[in-house]
Amino acid sequence: MAMLNFEKKYRVRGGTLLGGDLFDFWLGPFYVGFFGITAAFFAFLGTALILWGAAMGPTWNLWQISIAPPDLSYGLRFAPLLEGGLWQLITVCALGAFVSWALREVEICRKLGMGYHVPVAFGAAIVAYATLVVVRPVLMGAWGHGFPYGIFSHLDWVSNVGYQYLHFHYNPAHMIAVSFFFTTAFALSLHGGLVLSSTNPGRGQEVKTPEHEDTFFRDIIGYSVGTLGIHRLGLFLALASGLFSALCIVLSGPFWTRGWPEWWGWWLNLPIWSQWPLQ
Amino acid sequence: MSTLSIQTALRLLGLASVAMLAACERPPVISVQHGYAGTGMAQVYNPATVEKQQEANQVPEATPQASPDGPKAGQVYQNVKVLGDLSVGQFTRLMVNMTAWIAPEQGCAYCHNPANFADESKYTKVVARKMVEMTQHINTDWKNHVAETGVTCYTCHRGQPVPKEIWFTADNAPKGANFIGDTAGQNSPAKTVGLSSLPNDPFTPFLLGKEEIRVNGNTALPSGNRTSIKQAEWTYGLMMHMSSSLGVNCTYCHNTRNIAQWEGGPPQRVTAWHGIRMARDLNLNYMETLTEVFPANRKGELGDVAKLNCATCHQGAYKPLYGAGMLKDHPELGRDTVLASSAPVKAAKAALQASAAAPAAKR
Amino acid sequence: MPQYQNIFTTVNAVGPVSPGVELGHGNSPRTGQPLINYWLGKLGNAQLGPIYLGGLGLASIIFGTLAFNIIGFNMLAQVNWDPIQFIRQLFWLALEPPPPQYGLTIPPMNQGGWYLLSSLFLLISVLLWFARTWRRARELGLGMHIPYAFLSAMWLFLVLGLFRPVLMGSWGEAVPYGIFPHLDWTAAFSLRYGNLFYNPFHALSIAFLYGSALLFAMHGATILAVGRYGGEREIEQIVDRGTASERAALFWRWTMGFNATMESIHRWAWWFAVLTTLTGGIGILLTGTVVDNWYLWAVKHGVAPPYPDVFPAVTDPALQATPSGVKP
Repeated sequence: MAMLNFEKKYRVRGGTLLGGDLFDFWLGPFYVGFFGITAAFFAFLGTALILWGAAMGPTWNLWQISIAPPDLSYGLRFAPLLEGGLWQLITVCALGAFVSWALREVEICRKLGMGYHVPVAFGAAIVAYATLVVVRPVLMGAWGHGFPYGIFSHLDWVSNVGYQYLHFHYNPAHMIAVSFFFTTAFALSLHGGLVLSSTNPGRGQEVKTPEHEDTFFRDIIGYSVGTLGIHRLGLFLALASGLFSALCIVLSGPFWTRGWPEWWGWWLNLPIWSQWPLQ
Repeated sequence: MSTLSIQTALRLLGLASVAMLAACERPPVISVQHGYAGTGMAQVYNPATVEKQQEANQVPEATPQASPDGPKAGQVYQNVKVLGDLSVGQFTRLMVNMTAWIAPEQGCAYCHNPANFADESKYTKVVARKMVEMTQHINTDWKNHVAETGVTCYTCHRGQPVPKEIWFTADNAPKGANFIGDTAGQNSPAKTVGLSSLPNDPFTPFLLGKEEIRVNGNTALPSGNRTSIKQAEWTYGLMMHMSSSLGVNCTYCHNTRNIAQWEGGPPQRVTAWHGIRMARDLNLNYMETLTEVFPANRKGELGDVAKLNCATCHQGAYKPLYGAGMLKDHPELGRDTVLASSAPVKAAKAALQASAAAPAAKR
Repeated sequence: MPQYQNIFTTVNAVGPVSPGVELGHGNSPRTGQPLINYWLGKLGNAQLGPIYLGGLGLASIIFGTLAFNIIGFNMLAQVNWDPIQFIRQLFWLALEPPPPQYGLTIPPMNQGGWYLLSSLFLLISVLLWFARTWRRARELGLGMHIPYAFLSAMWLFLVLGLFRPVLMGSWGEAVPYGIFPHLDWTAAFSLRYGNLFYNPFHALSIAFLYGSALLFAMHGATILAVGRYGGEREIEQIVDRGTASERAALFWRWTMGFNATMESIHRWAWWFAVLTTLTGGIGILLTGTVVDNWYLWAVKHGVAPPYPDVFPAVTDPALQATPSGVKP
């Protein structure tokens, strides 16, 4: 029945948001729930539309398949299916599937007596996706500003949208987001490493304690955030990465149309030193 | 930590946010697609900027055409070397327009000795003659860049004796000391490269010299392309200048997924390619030849003359004056107007063309 | 009724400061009287210090400070020793590597010599710090997982600053020390080598970078969500599984059909983070040495997507028989 050896006692009824007992069951290891049904529906439909789009396209090569958004000329209207309308439908399915997934996670949390941190964290990722394909296009007046659904074609979009602002690295929110991403990876390696080093201490050694973990970091850098703190910090770093990324792209276009290096002029021309030339 | 210090911290944060946000713009924006859907090739404009740009690019009204009949200016006036083939009426009309285009406040006396209009004691007259030749050269020999729209004095000068957008070779000698602190021609916030820290004088190597702009190889695996990352930065600096000069972003000319590729890319890039060669030609064969003519106060820190780049004509517009053709009202600026009988001038002109043709043919 | 969400500690319990696990022979005593900081305690541990200052650490800091100062004084010299301009232009200033014409030879000090010296000191500092993490882990009887993770980061660092420049035959290929200039280097690198998005190791590295963010969000959120069952006591939960680990595992099993354990999630974490820099370093190392244009490489291997033509036909003007504009 695909259950872990301790699982049975946790499989109780309750915790649902919608639907009561109707969908409160498991399929193999998967919990269903009302939002499991909707998630499966949107995911299936969206995938089928992508496959149909690929069939209408020039290739079945997985790396080259691409579903393009509408031309900018369609504005915020619904475009013909084969001229971007398909992209629009797939986007609706994606959002439907992601939100369903998050709400299903809420139902599972309620059932297991857990806090809602995971679905809230996932919500940040959904916000980032929605920013890219809904918020920013709406602010700029056309669905065509969304990114194409294709493995390499979406990277072409990233490259060109970046160069629309001449040198995207100078976007201050992008700089903050990248820093958060790198710091997240760094902190993750430290946390994973620390826990593993306590529980896998090497030949002939005993499993260590949180005191050893704290001592290691205090010895190395003078501070140890601790077992609870590292999880708060990690969650914060990861969410900040995603949210600052969303910020950096929603600024580009709706709130800044020039090259990003030029934005830094406000600093160079602050009244405290603008009277002196730069050379 | 006290409540007061929290409040102070919050106030500082608020101030910083205001300072940074004040630097931003706001929707709505105008976006123009420039490639296939979803490739991200688009121009994004702020309507307020567009409006300001249009105000700044008003074309002066054309004066009524003068009759070509009557004696030639070269026969009637003295010391007319390049405009001799015009009628007196046409000649005078051009002079009046040039005054309005270049020195509206200073008047005729900016170039001429009012007691003797043929006198060349003012350097500005010598320069102006060379500039007329240059304008005619652009409009006849550089049609692959200026097409039939062409240029007039106004395109660069816009009512100013010295055009707003000119450049001099940068003095990149170390400032603080000789043994430390070399900037390598970059790493300071320069308007020429849009306030980035890229190399800030891409004009000397690329728009005066003939340094290779291309850095990409055209094979997947290495086949002898030894260009460095540094060289790519120099090219990037030139590209930043071109973008801000034309008020467009990189995707106007390139699909950046393969920035070097010509096939399938925007045709604007070909026009720009010719523009670069034109700038080199003009700087080398017209501006630099005036080095002895200009006084010291009109030269750069290294004693070189002012030179032109993309911004000199374009001034933030993808086509100078947004494509308004002034040349059609001044056909004399689109042809050779040396009086047929004036042999020495003809010979000099032929020599100039020959020397201009030779270097250009190499590239 | 508002519920406690386990984000900030409501009551800071303060006890005697911890002097740390006792060390054996051959170790210095620890430095510094530990402090308690209330605001740190709102998020994590409130205790600051003591720190271990051994020979390796001190040497590392000395070399690191030397490198930092060489960079800083070069920047200050660039603005003619003006401290106000130093702050104003700080993000633009840099210490540049040698110009390409010097190849792998030692150039004059002001033409990349300072850069090479600073890099050497930085390398020594990093190696000494690595040795510090190794020694401290050993002395505490911990596994070597953190030093090994550090090695992965050092791999990328060495590829960028040493291995690749040597293989390319030019110190000038290395990354400048400066905020905006190192970003210029990054963009120029991608432009020069045919768009790094088409470099498969770059793609893998990004997948692991985003994956690390995903995993830390998932893991951090999960542990906080089972905080009421003592989920953050991970070592205890690993050797003696409690309801925290069970609920955490079941959350993911019911959500996505499979799950990790309290220990194995930390292996997922370690590998994703370590593979970010490992694959990234490989991607950089292959660029310019083995592949000159990643887009063309992608076309060759059939992964570059086609787009319909929307522009009139364009050919390279440099290839045309009669080049540009002057009348013969």
